[in-house]
Amino acid sequence: MVWEQLGGNLTQGLVLGAVYGVATMGLSLIFGVLRVVNVGHGPFIMVGAFVTLSMFMALGVAPVAAIPAALLVGIALGFVFFYTTMRRLIKAPELASLLATFAMGILLEEIVKHIFGAEFRGYTWDVGKIVLPMTVMPMTKVYAFIGSIVVAALLYLWFNRTRMGTAIRTVVEDSEGARVCGVNVGWIYALSFAIGIGLTVMSGVFLAMFIPVGINPYMGGAYTLKAFVIAVLGGLTSPYGAFFGGLIFGLVENGSYTLFALLPHVEPFALTRFLTFLILLIILLIRPTGLLGAKK
Amino acid sequence: MALLKLENITKRFGGLVAVNGVSLEIEAGELIGIVGPNGSGKTTLYNVISGVYSPEEGKVIFEDKDITRLPPYRRAPLGIGRTFQIPRPFSSATVRENVAVGAMFGTLSGKVSVDESLEIADRYIELVGLKAYKDKASGGLTPVDKKLMEIARALAMKPKLLLMDEAMAGMHPRDIDEMVRFLKKVGEEEGIAIVSMVEHIMRAVAGFAQRVVVMYQGAKLVDAPTAEALSDPRVIDVYLGRPSGG
Amino acid sequence: MRPKFVKYYPLIPVYMAYLIMFVVGCTMPGMWQMVAMLAFYCAIGQAFNIFLGMTGYVDFGYVAFLALGTYGMALGITAFYHTGLGIGIIFIGLALGVVMATLLSLAVGAVALRLRGAYFAIATIGVNEGFRYFVEGAKIWGGSEGLIFSGELKEAFGAKMASQLSTFWADVMVFIIAAVAAFVTIHYMRSKIGYALTALREDEDAAKVMGINVTKYKIMAFITSASFAGLIGAAAWALKLTYVFPPDVFEIAYTVECIIVVLLGGAGTLLGPVVGGLVYALSKYWLAVVAPGFQLLIFAPIIIVIIVAFPEGIMGVVKRGTKGTWLERYIV
Repeated sequence: MVWEQLGGNLTQGLVLGAVYGVATMGLSLIFGVLRVVNVGHGPFIMVGAFVTLSMFMALGVAPVAAIPAALLVGIALGFVFFYTTMRRLIKAPELASLLATFAMGILLEEIVKHIFGAEFRGYTWDVGKIVLPMTVMPMTKVYAFIGSIVVAALLYLWFNRTRMGTAIRTVVEDSEGARVCGVNVGWIYALSFAIGIGLTVMSGVFLAMFIPVGINPYMGGAYTLKAFVIAVLGGLTSPYGAFFGGLIFGLVENGSYTLFALLPHVEPFALTRFLTFLILLIILLIRPTGLLGAKK
Repeated sequence: MALLKLENITKRFGGLVAVNGVSLEIEAGELIGIVGPNGSGKTTLYNVISGVYSPEEGKVIFEDKDITRLPPYRRAPLGIGRTFQIPRPFSSATVRENVAVGAMFGTLSGKVSVDESLEIADRYIELVGLKAYKDKASGGLTPVDKKLMEIARALAMKPKLLLMDEAMAGMHPRDIDEMVRFLKKVGEEEGIAIVSMVEHIMRAVAGFAQRVVVMYQGAKLVDAPTAEALSDPRVIDVYLGRPSGG
Repeated sequence: MRPKFVKYYPLIPVYMAYLIMFVVGCTMPGMWQMVAMLAFYCAIGQAFNIFLGMTGYVDFGYVAFLALGTYGMALGITAFYHTGLGIGIIFIGLALGVVMATLLSLAVGAVALRLRGAYFAIATIGVNEGFRYFVEGAKIWGGSEGLIFSGELKEAFGAKMASQLSTFWADVMVFIIAAVAAFVTIHYMRSKIGYALTALREDEDAAKVMGINVTKYKIMAFITSASFAGLIGAAAWALKLTYVFPPDVFEIAYTVECIIVVLLGGAGTLLGPVVGGLVYALSKYWLAVVAPGFQLLIFAPIIIVIIVAFPEGIMGVVKRGTKGTWLERYIV
């Protein structure tokens, strides 16, 4: 009985993990190219969730259609934030970009709060369920899963097969060298930041498809920490590492929740979140470049 | 006892061998030049001596103590001082405060108070001719003055061995001559062994060093008294790009 | 002896400010609440500045130390209220608060401070959440319901004294803590510690080569900053509110406020947190009346503007203006 539940939860975890993974790819991209940690990461995901919500409520549009909209919103936000703020902080001490991205996140939360209010919202989009060996999964989750994999695959192709993607990879490797080779590094910075933010906002749609309740302006915070754990797991600079890190994280998170629920005298949800933090610390201690990243 | 002994130092970065089996001995008070084209491993060697890098093979022995695995901050109090090719001032601090840091954490670490360190700083600031800028924020100095401050800061550490990294790059030839005179004098008066590393400013080395070590592609090519080293045909070939012999 | 004390002169404007605040609060009717709030922000500003300002590292989980201080006082009171130790209970509470905050900072510092800037920030983001969910998950210290100890406080001191403790003496303690934090700040700044911290803040690798054990000094600043936070939590939160509730005390908004206070006033300066605390607290109060709920919305872009355009804060501007004048000695 326990095994069935564990298996079911693990399947759910894997599926959620794909969404987590896509949500973290943007973070890794931004760090890889600009060496900036987007401390306001979570709130950007929240924006994507709200794009989904408003399109569904206002236009009756299925969340799947919100995906391109969220991507565009994210890219736009990314360019705006880059050209107003991040560009001027490239030469500044690390502290500056950490605080600036943190403040951006807060700004987003407050703006959303004032537009939509602080209450928890949700929506229902019932497109049926699918019955799997150990669990039953709503189709929305399946769509989110498929969507995440498609995005990850497209990103892989883009990075490795297009000129722009290759240019970005060279900047990750060695920005000075890239500049010498004629790559317009300034534009790559802007583009990478914008795409990173775009990916992050877009992942909010997948997340909303997966967990369509509890959408509120402050929901992002929890995902910031998770994203960091995943990013560190996967090697902070590698977007693919982030994706696989997400899968692992989804499995571990759901698995541990199931196990904690079996223990008396503990509150499993809270303890799982504590475990998240512990994992982060341990990895930072033993292998900060990530389990899947390049060894420095 | 040699002040510094490098025994067969090899440093690799992935597949690249930056320093290849280099052995070297430096006596107290010696004035040495390290010379070599770009990429010959000079800076890496400096980083191994000051502890920024750990060599894959070989030992660094300072005053008969094996310091190979010692972190950089433990080497300064032993007497290893260093300047950087591109000066690294503590920008928001004044020149006086910068140089005082050298006094506080170098060989006098734990033996001088903050006020005494500031006095020591004043002395060296005057010595390098920066007295007028004593209380100026170091970030605002000209590049040459920043170099002078680096030197003052390193001297305030009262080192036994001073590693200078392209200290005279960007200087007017007249200033280089003056700097060479200055270093020789300071080295003698304070009993410091000074290693000056240059890529191509031979003027800085010719009048200064008693001995020259020439590096090429990570290995030691020549290690001889100055005149001999600089007229060695292999050295000339290395700089003109012709491989020597066969 | 005179030259030796000159280095403490910068405390004069700080203590003057606190004294004026204290006197205004005591003499003008109804002003004590406001003054207490100002003192609180100055105090946490000074405490946070010891780490952020002097090392240039940002601890996003800072509020956890305030929280632990609060728990320390709460546990002290609930454990000892029946022992008749009188005012001793408060001291035990304060001591517990400091010890708990210090222990956490040791644990976190030992792990996180070996990491460089960005990795450190990532590690600390989790500390806050991590500890909160540990308390809730393992159901210790009241778990997710927290602790209420107003009853115990009244039993230990009598209703009247308990009320005075919460509404007056707790705030007096905050003033004292702020004054001590200012003293420690200037002491650090003028000593070898301060030089080491400035060096590692400006260029950590060059500092190492100059002989500075950067990890040791980072830990020193970190623990000092955390201990003060523990004291403040014990006094300003626990004693005043007489309850502790995890979602409240681990609320990241307080870390945000610490950042605003220090950045606004001028990170790494002595007067910065005082000025920042006053400006922020007064603005917050004013905004709460004029445009409630809009505080963060207004302050978030202000933080960004400060970071981009005025990284040295108000005191940065003031210091440049007073350079070379007689004021220079007092404006640090």
